[in-house]
Amino acid sequence: MIRKASCCRFTSEGIFVNGEKRFTLNHFEEELTEVYRQLSVEYPKFYKMDLMSKVSFLGVELLKGVDSELALHREDEEVGLLFANSESSSQTDLRFEESYTRDGLPSPSLFVYTLPNIAMGEIAIRNKWYGAHMFSVFPNFAAAYFADYGRLMLKDGAKRVVGGWVDVREQPDAAFFVLDSSLLENREEALQVLNQVYSNH
Amino acid sequence: MKVPVYIGAESIVSSLGRSAASNYDQLCKGISGIALEPGIGWKESDVYLSRIRDLPAVGPFASLLSASLEELSAGWDQALLTSSDTQVIISSTKGELSDDLLNPFHAVIDGLINRFGLVHRPLLLSNACISGVLAINLAARMIGEGMCRHVVVLGADVISPFVLYGFQSLYAVSDVPCRPFDQDRKGVTLGDGCGRVVLSVEKNSFSETPALYLGGGDANDANHISGPSRTGEGLVRAVAKSLRNAGVDTQEIGCLNAHGTGTLYNDEMEAIAFNRLGLETIPLNSLKGYWGHTLGAAGLIETALCMQVLRNGIIPASIGFENPGTSKPLNVVIRPEELKKDIILKTASGFGGGNAALLITRS
Repeated sequence: MIRKASCCRFTSEGIFVNGEKRFTLNHFEEELTEVYRQLSVEYPKFYKMDLMSKVSFLGVELLKGVDSELALHREDEEVGLLFANSESSSQTDLRFEESYTRDGLPSPSLFVYTLPNIAMGEIAIRNKWYGAHMFSVFPNFAAAYFADYGRLMLKDGAKRVVGGWVDVREQPDAAFFVLDSSLLENREEALQVLNQVYSNH
Repeated sequence: MKVPVYIGAESIVSSLGRSAASNYDQLCKGISGIALEPGIGWKESDVYLSRIRDLPAVGPFASLLSASLEELSAGWDQALLTSSDTQVIISSTKGELSDDLLNPFHAVIDGLINRFGLVHRPLLLSNACISGVLAINLAARMIGEGMCRHVVVLGADVISPFVLYGFQSLYAVSDVPCRPFDQDRKGVTLGDGCGRVVLSVEKNSFSETPALYLGGGDANDANHISGPSRTGEGLVRAVAKSLRNAGVDTQEIGCLNAHGTGTLYNDEMEAIAFNRLGLETIPLNSLKGYWGHTLGAAGLIETALCMQVLRNGIIPASIGFENPGTSKPLNVVIRPEELKKDIILKTASGFGGGNAALLITRS
């Protein structure tokens, strides 16, 4: 049997959940609000988030929709967050820089999003997940990062790890997936599954 | 059985000096590297900062990391740097942001790989102010799980208008050198910094006796992205997890090196968390009054300083502290004092709700 991981993928074509297209994205940023509305999630903080946090928030909400065990975790340390991207927080960094070079006043509400780990903070707040979390920056999606460091988090007490790759600056290139010990016990298989999550949608 | 993981070859580059030993000497003498920088802030405001004086205008971040790897031979078997058993982890929030806002990390890392002939691409961790402690904990776990035998952990951040204006926009910058845990504290003082430690299973790869890494952990407040938890929840969980992982009882801890940024809310949160954990009588200091808040470097240079405390036996005072300023009591070190028990606890907390801690002792 070929293993699968619950996954949610954002590309310029749309949002795919477990490989199935759920939303079309033509005007990425504006349409995220529409996606949020369709999820019927009452969470007004969403509107204040930067783009990377919005994508991450929606990605994890969509994952919870197809992974009932993940949705059950609340108020615990059993979910680890393992995120990465290639562009750090530069989409918001640019906007914060413009706030003082162009608009004449450094914006505090943008500044607080000028760190890539903030998106994980938003997810932790939303779900009351107190567990371990880690954000790395490297040039391209790397299945090995999620397989190897995900395994470390599971060995260190996490029951499940939510992996996230979140590039948003030019076009959406994001993937969110659930890792557990049964998936990660065989590294080669895990790499295959993760590469599939990223390449297929 | 757990393999012993040693931690040594520490270095600190700050406004106070270019080695861990020289920084430690200055701290024990009560000398701060924070100075008034006229006209450097938003709207040409005067700001207190802790600056490394001779940084190049272009590529300051890369130059700090390169120098740190070059100077590795002073404390560690440098030949191991190019071994396939060695991994490099870099902790930073903003990297080379002033040179390249869109790409602050990749080119610098490519440069290090080429220059030093590294086998594996260094892993860049960016978790706000807890990056450094998180990086050391990750290094120890990688070694513990047999992913590698040695990890060189570097951390660096350089003050930029971007970060300075940002903290000013939050009204978080102190108009005097920062005063962690004091009743008159008014916010942070930012600093340039670069720190390094090496973790290894091979005790004899170090030229001086290394310390022993005991354990660590991290947790999220799950409360607010830019404000500390009012209950200290994440910090309590991170420290409790670290104590469990290390198999250490609070009674065995001789020094608590806190995060202590000097903001009202952060220091109050730490005091609440440390009281919940029963750590309020342990000699505690924050080092931010000496070299400011160095963000991604903070966990590295402060752990490196804790290693100097283990080597030399004296805990530097928490400079800037005069009168208790938190709702819960703490045992803040007001003049240098002897380290009476051999275990040191280091903590960090930061934006995004992150908290991390680690414990080290003499080997």
